[in-house]
Amino acid sequence: MKGSEDGLGSLEHIVLLAVMRLGSNAYGMTVRREIESATGRDLSIGAVYATLVRLESKGFINSFSGEPTAERGGRAKRYFRMTAAGQGALRNTHEIIHKMSAGLKGLQSL
Amino acid sequence: MKRYPSIHVATWFLARLVPEGERDALVGDLVEEHALRAATTSSSAALRWSLQQVCASVPPLLWARLRRAAWIAALGVALLAYIAVGVVEWIVNRTIPSPPGTGTIVNMLLALLVPFPMVALIAYVAARFSPRAPIMLGAIMLVMVTLMTLTSAERIPTWYRIAYFLVGPAAAFIGGALRSAAVKKTNGLGT
Repeated sequence: MKGSEDGLGSLEHIVLLAVMRLGSNAYGMTVRREIESATGRDLSIGAVYATLVRLESKGFINSFSGEPTAERGGRAKRYFRMTAAGQGALRNTHEIIHKMSAGLKGLQSL
Repeated sequence: MKRYPSIHVATWFLARLVPEGERDALVGDLVEEHALRAATTSSSAALRWSLQQVCASVPPLLWARLRRAAWIAALGVALLAYIAVGVVEWIVNRTIPSPPGTGTIVNMLLALLVPFPMVALIAYVAARFSPRAPIMLGAIMLVMVTLMTLTSAERIPTWYRIAYFLVGPAAAFIGGALRSAAVKKTNGLGT
């Protein structure tokens, strides 16, 4: 599967987790706000969007267009959903982090 | 619906940074959050936020566009490789004289065999710069050989025509495959 061998960068990891948390309401703006509210990181809309497109090209998420809405000036939303490959990539990344951080007593005092 | 005319500057600029098919989603996101912020803070604060967003979005969106245009880089490398093939072939033809007493068939065989490792080597080097370049080089060679065959009035045996079609692209693909195998081997040793 295309991209399934690729790992996740730190921003890709965060964005993928945000997509997972948002479920059926994941689109550019909500993903950005979710990251901001959960981590305090004020990411730019362009950084989030570029990361979503990259994740889609790796096969970790897919997208579809919603209906145009008035509050967006008649523009449609682009919703994102996590794929099975995306879940696998998240699992692998978390396993690596878990293994690398296991037994590090100094980690909590950092 | 409340409208904020100045947001158009930000949306116009943001729209220029992404391909046409993706503008609605990105610009719509900005407009929607701008409206939310204008409703909860003030329209000037919302506009300031929107302009900051557009400025901060320039580097990642430009980088994303460059990454997507990787095939242009591959084509550029392939064209340079094709020129390199032409130059090396010209040098070889000028420096290596035909063996004395050889007939036409021997000359034709040499003309097929000598370029093979040369093209494979050039494709191998091209693949270092762009992994897709050897495939494009093979395709360019195929197109050029077809054009030369169609426009040439020379009387050439059919077997030679067919072999000429196959040798260049095959050498390019083999060069690319060798590079790919070398990369895999290196990665395997590194892990």
